[in-house]
Amino acid sequence: MQALKILVVDDDPVTRSLLMKRLSKAECVVETAESGVEAIRMISNTYFDVILTDLMMPGGVDGIGVLETAKENNIKTEVILITAHGSIDNAIVAMKKGANDYLQKPINFDELILRLSKIQNLKHLMKNASDLRVAMETTEQVSSETIQHLEMTVAELQERMLTIRKTLERRDLPPGERIRMALAG
Amino acid sequence: MSISRPGHQDNKKDATLSTSRIAVKPFPAIRKRITINSTEIQLFARYINDLTGIHIEPSKAYLLETRLGKILEHESCDSFTTFYYKAKADTSKIIEKQIIDAITTNETLFFRDASPFELLKHKILPEVFDKRSNKSVRIWSAACSTGQEVYSIAIILRELLGPVNGTNLKLVGTDISDAAIKQASYGMYNKFEIERGLPRERLQRYFESHGENWKIKDEIRFMTSFNRFNLMGSFAGMGKYDIIFCRNVAIYFTLDDRIKVFNKIADCLEPDGYLIIGSTESLTGVCPRFVPKRHLKSIFYQLR
Repeated sequence: MQALKILVVDDDPVTRSLLMKRLSKAECVVETAESGVEAIRMISNTYFDVILTDLMMPGGVDGIGVLETAKENNIKTEVILITAHGSIDNAIVAMKKGANDYLQKPINFDELILRLSKIQNLKHLMKNASDLRVAMETTEQVSSETIQHLEMTVAELQERMLTIRKTLERRDLPPGERIRMALAG
Repeated sequence: MSISRPGHQDNKKDATLSTSRIAVKPFPAIRKRITINSTEIQLFARYINDLTGIHIEPSKAYLLETRLGKILEHESCDSFTTFYYKAKADTSKIIEKQIIDAITTNETLFFRDASPFELLKHKILPEVFDKRSNKSVRIWSAACSTGQEVYSIAIILRELLGPVNGTNLKLVGTDISDAAIKQASYGMYNKFEIERGLPRERLQRYFESHGENWKIKDEIRFMTSFNRFNLMGSFAGMGKYDIIFCRNVAIYFTLDDRIKVFNKIADCLEPDGYLIIGSTESLTGVCPRFVPKRHLKSIFYQLR
């Protein structure tokens, strides 16, 4: 399975480097941003599978701002919010806005890895489904061209048969003339 | 729990795990998956065919097991035979509706195969509106599933005509599945449904975000109406339509039923109306009343 590409957003350098270390060890590709503003700049240039962002950050763009930009930018990006203990209400607001999940500080890394592996499984399933869809669409495309061609050909042939029949049934002409006309179409 | 069965050791555990609704209706003692035998396959294939017209090959038993298994468990039936008689005896038809919802394939997407919508926009609609300058235009999406086709048509209409006055336009979607019609009328789609076929610009313009979901804006929703309708039943009272979409539904029917359905459709198409079928479907040997016509990359049908 392809490694998850993760953006860690936190104004606290200790949390950033800890997350960076743990996630890299878990074979994720990790980048970090030290503010919401920096995160938004990075999101608009690069696609991330998952964004792990602190909810409360100084500098005008908080976790919700990051979440909104991420979702606007690419609906496939999953966002996990990190909240301080006791700020569940904010976390619920975030979930309503499309966050995948939230974690409370202090971060339990086993829990985080578990959530990430669930996201990865989901992405894997989605990839399978989308591959199947592409295969189905290709088959459909090719067969539809064949069927449409046959449909038109059959209709034309039916029309021609009908004309030939009418010509052959004409009583006002001698048989030889009818056959000549029928063959000429 | 007052009911205790011999040999049902897990009874207590089950009750704590289950929701309250299930707790009063305990599962049969053995929780292994119930399989369907060949007699039951015939029984259900016939029942489903009568209900929906859907033809199930005996080799597709897994389809019955996977799609109906959950309802069967919910109804605490210990075999497909018991389930069959329970469904038939249910005068409220609730089980029957659940079976229909489960067995119908709601595979659809916005602007499925781009070409019919190009055809609609550049040929059919301009022609129809030209001919019906002072009469209302009626469009029917037969078997519309969860509504994506109807809303795709509505979006094309909106883009072609500007804000649409509901009085001179009727855009109806019908489907046999209650659940599908319910979702279609509400017009709410999750991100997986939205991702398919809908360009970003149209998503932003015609949908409102509701958390992870997207809801079609009222200005588009108000152009449409949805009803439950069974293509196997009578078409009496349907009236005449200028444009009918009947895509990728007859593929699930037998040839005999396909013949019947397309004949009934021919009866409710205006003499100069247009029929659009699925891109891999054919009416050859099905309904000689229709003549195929080509426009660029797509085919549409008109009455002879």
